[in-house]
Amino acid sequence: MPSEFWKDRIVLLDGAMGTVLQQKGLPPGGKPELLNLTQPELLESVYKEYIAAGSQVIYTNTFCASAPKLASTGHTVEEIVAAAVSVARRAAAGTDVKVALDIGPLGELLEPMGTLSFERAYDYFRQIAAAGEAAGADLAVIETMTDLYETKAALLAVKENTALPVFVTMSFDESGRTFTGCTVASMARTLEGLGADAIGLNCSLGPDLLAPLLKELCRNTRLPVIAKPNAGLPDPATGLYDMGPEAFAAALVPSLEAGVTIFGGCCGTSPEYIRALRQALVGKAPAPRRYDAAGFVCSPTVPCRLDGVRVIGERINPTGKKRFQQALLEHDLDYILDVAVQQEDAGADILDVNVGYPGVDEAALLPEVVKKLQSAVSLPLQLDSSDPAALEAGLRVYNGKAAVNSVNGDGAVLDRVLPIVKKYGASVVGLTLDKGGIPQTAEERLAIARRILDAALAHGIPREDVWIDCLTLTVSAQQDQAAETLRAVRLVREQLGLQVVLGVSNISFGLPDRQLVNRTFLVQALGAGLTLPIMDPNQRPLMDAVAAARVLSGEDRDCRAYVARFADKAPAPAVAVPAADLTLEDAVIRGLKADAGRLARQALEQEDELALVERRLIPALDRIGEDYERGKAFLPQLLSAAGAAQAVFEVIRASVAQKGGAPVKKGRLVLATVRGDIHDIGKNIVKTVLENYGFETIDLGRDVPPETIADTVQKEHIRLVGLSALMTTTLPAMEETIGLLHSLPEPPVVMVGGAVVTPEYARQMGADYYAKDAKASVEIAREVFGA
Amino acid sequence: MEQERIRPDIGEALRYLGVTEDPDGAMTRAAEAQAEALVRSVQPRYVYRLFDIERTEDGAVLAGSGIVLPGDTAARMLASCGKAALLACTLGAGFEAMLRAAEARDMARAVILDACGSALVEAGCDRAERELAGRLPGLYLTDRFSPGYGDLPLALQGAVCDVLDARRRLGVQVTESLLMNPAKSVTAVIGVSDRPQPARVRGCAHCPLAGNCAFRKGEKSCAI
Repeated sequence: MPSEFWKDRIVLLDGAMGTVLQQKGLPPGGKPELLNLTQPELLESVYKEYIAAGSQVIYTNTFCASAPKLASTGHTVEEIVAAAVSVARRAAAGTDVKVALDIGPLGELLEPMGTLSFERAYDYFRQIAAAGEAAGADLAVIETMTDLYETKAALLAVKENTALPVFVTMSFDESGRTFTGCTVASMARTLEGLGADAIGLNCSLGPDLLAPLLKELCRNTRLPVIAKPNAGLPDPATGLYDMGPEAFAAALVPSLEAGVTIFGGCCGTSPEYIRALRQALVGKAPAPRRYDAAGFVCSPTVPCRLDGVRVIGERINPTGKKRFQQALLEHDLDYILDVAVQQEDAGADILDVNVGYPGVDEAALLPEVVKKLQSAVSLPLQLDSSDPAALEAGLRVYNGKAAVNSVNGDGAVLDRVLPIVKKYGASVVGLTLDKGGIPQTAEERLAIARRILDAALAHGIPREDVWIDCLTLTVSAQQDQAAETLRAVRLVREQLGLQVVLGVSNISFGLPDRQLVNRTFLVQALGAGLTLPIMDPNQRPLMDAVAAARVLSGEDRDCRAYVARFADKAPAPAVAVPAADLTLEDAVIRGLKADAGRLARQALEQEDELALVERRLIPALDRIGEDYERGKAFLPQLLSAAGAAQAVFEVIRASVAQKGGAPVKKGRLVLATVRGDIHDIGKNIVKTVLENYGFETIDLGRDVPPETIADTVQKEHIRLVGLSALMTTTLPAMEETIGLLHSLPEPPVVMVGGAVVTPEYARQMGADYYAKDAKASVEIAREVFGA
Repeated sequence: MEQERIRPDIGEALRYLGVTEDPDGAMTRAAEAQAEALVRSVQPRYVYRLFDIERTEDGAVLAGSGIVLPGDTAARMLASCGKAALLACTLGAGFEAMLRAAEARDMARAVILDACGSALVEAGCDRAERELAGRLPGLYLTDRFSPGYGDLPLALQGAVCDVLDARRRLGVQVTESLLMNPAKSVTAVIGVSDRPQPARVRGCAHCPLAGNCAFRKGEKSCAI
């Protein structure tokens, strides 16, 4: 076969291994990978049956050959992989059948679902990939994946550590999503961008139910497409699959029309199925493909096809924002997440992320912020930096297809950044300026845009991934340039057909009623062809204008979104307490965030920050806290009040940041869920409540080893540690942590809580305090810090 | 045929939140709103498999699965059963993502959503149980009981997931410390008998922990 045997031709893979072994009488369970060592002849005989049936590629028996899964077997990854490849090689000897190194999921969930880090996952996959290449595999297949993030780690590991071609297949259910919510389009665009050689679907469903998903997949990629379905669905009584070889082949072959060229079988299939497939495919040729070459960015769950106006939220950016700068310097990622959440809720489609600021190590911070954001925000991100190292670090840990902001017409910049854009399959914003500055005419900007496009194409970046920023200049300073910018937008759209970006609010610096100027400019620019406005989505009038423009362009079919947007614009329901009579205390107790923030701003006109906290906020929190303790208020109400208190604290922080003063803080403590425990809502509740009493928390997260907690305590001179455990199985880890903390030269006070912890357990484990709930933890913190 | 969407029991969700009284109905409305949003985007998924029971000295063996159910609890529950089903049910990673998104916005909403999630996974088990009963006309099911209940070892959780291929079919993993991930997941055993079965497990009335239930502190539902 030719070296790129998978291209432009029909290829037959193998079917299931486990199914056939069970048919041959092997009991289920156990570690199938050990058979590579104990029963190689048995495996070899199965491969030979597949080859005789027509398989041109056979998968090694290494689906579970990762270090964590082999840990209990006493065998190394290298040992198992080498044995597995050599078994397959022997079976393929004398044929041109290819041996594919099979790489399955690690069996541990990655962050944020689990606690396995992306980097750690990458290391596990690297070990398998390198072992497979060393043992002589012809290619690698990453299969049965359900988490796009894990898939990305595996794909990068193969590509960066071997020269093997790599196929990737994921498992979807009927809804068109994986278990983790990844869509077919997100999968296809992300993996093609990352350089997979062929992609497809395996396992999960039979060929009939997989057919519509295969069609969707073919529309979203130029790569050869693989289908390796199950033999139907399993019977609950017997565990047997319900589709025979002929029915399987008959249901699968129509996918050829959609563009599938690589076929095989997963659970429940055997050599008979491959034989039936081969017969059904005789005389057939690959069908022409109909790729949808649209601009695209995505997170796993939110595919964003660029076929209309897409709003890029601009608020994650320290420029001119004291509070944001303070958050960066204090490493306050929760604040940055909050800014992101507000923009998502306001209707942004993509979020720009800029964390560049003097004193900030951007290459370290950007990936951290990316991880934080993608834990709770589902929108695609646009990474905004002039530091290539930061861009690369951010793109590496991004889960999906991101955009990069930005390059410009300067050759040196293009040469530095475009290879990174290409490697991670991102889209890229090109600013129409170069070493000579910003050209004054639209034609010159078009010329730079052309240069950027040519450079991108030369680096292998597809045309639809190139976005051009025609640059908004301040109209009060360079009045003629507003019209020139609009002309440039029109030229780039008409002559190059690329996506066009503009930072809208730059237009109005120095003018009164900036919003009116912004809005008018936005509308004009959309009329000229702007597709990707970078703006503040929290400004409702701007978003209203976008909604109206989507109606006028026909993008909002039947005006549905527009009508929905304004349908509930009825007058706000009357509140029980007239706004004028509402006190700050009432607003906090009743959890009215917006009112609490407004009243706090008013209060700061008369009293200082500290007085506001001590005399008004804390007493209000205490009142709801007492109600909670007496069973007159419940957890959600306590937390609502905490949320309103948070709004007050935000006002105070902004006020302090504006004056350049030190933030109000009463004491710093560490919170962690102990090693082995992955449930953290209880700890998060405690954190929310403590922070809204003015305590600063260092949240180490979940599944935290004792050593990490001890190190943090020593480094940060911490006096109080709160530990949480949910399961009896993790209490030993809690006890170990307490022991380690108490052995430190300056032992901190330790409080413990969580579902299974009782006062007796707490005492036995040597904890200093038992916190029965969040309110109790506040009392303990007050005692420890004397606050 | 499109089945009706599975909904959580609001009263159950409120109990998980420790809400003992709700004079103005505010908590009920809040829980209903979260339940509505939850049901729109998340549905429980489940798999089950039926096995013949073989009795040995070690306990009830589920034929062909390699699983032994040791101890008094299993013996008592399965006393008159010739078969037993293993069940796994989960809300999946979609719920976890929804909960993280809620936590980033409003903890009050998040804890209510969390309680609704606990009630929803139970409702999913109920649906699976009805489906199983429908496949077994003339036979009777015991209450379902889970690893960790009575003296049925929690450590069985991993083997049950393996036998049901729950990782591949549901995306459920069992960690080294025997936690299920995604968190809103349940494994259970259901006995099948030719005689009617008394209630032995369901509800706090039958629960030895009823007086001092750790799960009822508002963080997590008990699986039974």
